[in-house]
Amino acid sequence: MIYLDSGATSFHKPPQVYRAVMDAMRSCANPGRGGYPAATAAARRIYACREAAAELFDCEPQQVVLTGSCTHGLNIAIRSLVRSGGRVVISGFEHNAVTRPLHALGAEIRVAGRKLFDWEDTLTRFEEALRRGAEAAVFTHVSNVFGYVLPVEQMARLCRQYGVPFILDAAQSAGSIPVSFRSFGADFIAMPGHKGLLGPQGTGLLLCAQSGKPLLQGGTGSDSIRQDMPEDLPERLEPGTLNVPGFAGLTQGLRYLRNVGVKTIGSREHRQLLHCVSGLRRLGMQVFSGPHQAGTLSFLPGMDCEEAAEKLAQLGIAVRAGIHCAPLAHESAGTLATGTVRVSFGYDCEPGETEEFLRAASKFSRIPQ
Amino acid sequence: MRFYYITFRSVTYAQRGERILQKEGIRCILLRTPRWMEEQGCGYCLRLWAEGVKPALQLLQMAGVSYRKVYIQGRDGQLEEMTV
Repeated sequence: MIYLDSGATSFHKPPQVYRAVMDAMRSCANPGRGGYPAATAAARRIYACREAAAELFDCEPQQVVLTGSCTHGLNIAIRSLVRSGGRVVISGFEHNAVTRPLHALGAEIRVAGRKLFDWEDTLTRFEEALRRGAEAAVFTHVSNVFGYVLPVEQMARLCRQYGVPFILDAAQSAGSIPVSFRSFGADFIAMPGHKGLLGPQGTGLLLCAQSGKPLLQGGTGSDSIRQDMPEDLPERLEPGTLNVPGFAGLTQGLRYLRNVGVKTIGSREHRQLLHCVSGLRRLGMQVFSGPHQAGTLSFLPGMDCEEAAEKLAQLGIAVRAGIHCAPLAHESAGTLATGTVRVSFGYDCEPGETEEFLRAASKFSRIPQ
Repeated sequence: MRFYYITFRSVTYAQRGERILQKEGIRCILLRTPRWMEEQGCGYCLRLWAEGVKPALQLLQMAGVSYRKVYIQGRDGQLEEMTV
């Protein structure tokens, strides 16, 4: 299989990730609950993950909250900053992981900036919305549908200028674009562990500049007599037993990224993207591409997008079609009715795989090859 | 041999303290806090040798790693809280 769906999850992990998962399953008990060797071994695995994340994202280990997914982290962050009915500014490219929790809270949602690959529009509209007042802002770093890299540093600066706390959804950028939590100044940054960070599914990270509001209450292995949650991070936001094998694997993914370099991986993905965009255009496909694009693209195949993805699957190519859990992004780009086929490159993408994909796509091109 | 115990609010804080002290060559061991030392229930502490306690407390304060209490082992082996 040629895997071009890294936007959904990284399918092939570095071998040390698999080994760490298995080793943790065999040797670890419950972290932060006991003093015997297997419990201590688990606690050490968990702390190693916090340290590896803190090193990669430039923060302190105790600011790294371990979550079950990026969605989990976003829910914690949104509930920490947004009150019922509060006004929130979001970009026009948000995932349902952002919009659904806001809808559930009854937030007044202001969508700002809907033009693809247009930083000027994004920033102008975003500032206009902030100027009208907002309780919080939530924005994605990279659109999961189109790969549009938003001008998040400037958006962060605007939030600070207008005194609006903000959350960054780094679901598609973590592991491909360097992020410094310290210099970025976000209240929260949420990310999955299983995409660009190369860990197993069921892992995520939430970087926190404030203690936040617990989404769940329960045991933390500390302050057990108190009936309210501890005030300190990370335990405050981590009730229940942590996914030790998952985070042991994620630690290895994070170390791999540190050794290879996030920029190196991002450049590799971008090279494949450019190659793919020009190839699809030669085939007469409508491709959504522009400046400020990461290693993800969407295209219209000239037939139903799900049928196109199915044909590609039969030829051994894995891509994702449809709405990609991001109706807002499709609405912004005018593709809500049709959906798109998404191609997303990962850390291990090879030029030959892009060629193979283009050969497969040429089979339903309307331009004779 | 006399020991000191520094108690922390959570395992994460105790681990952070352990890392900082070990980086500076101060020997310490991460343990569950004895129940009588921790009013709020379960917790973790660092046990260290007497000669390391002063620089250890300074290092923890400099790094912003807050601890709860410090206990010293007396000549009779009994532990008592130390005013820091």
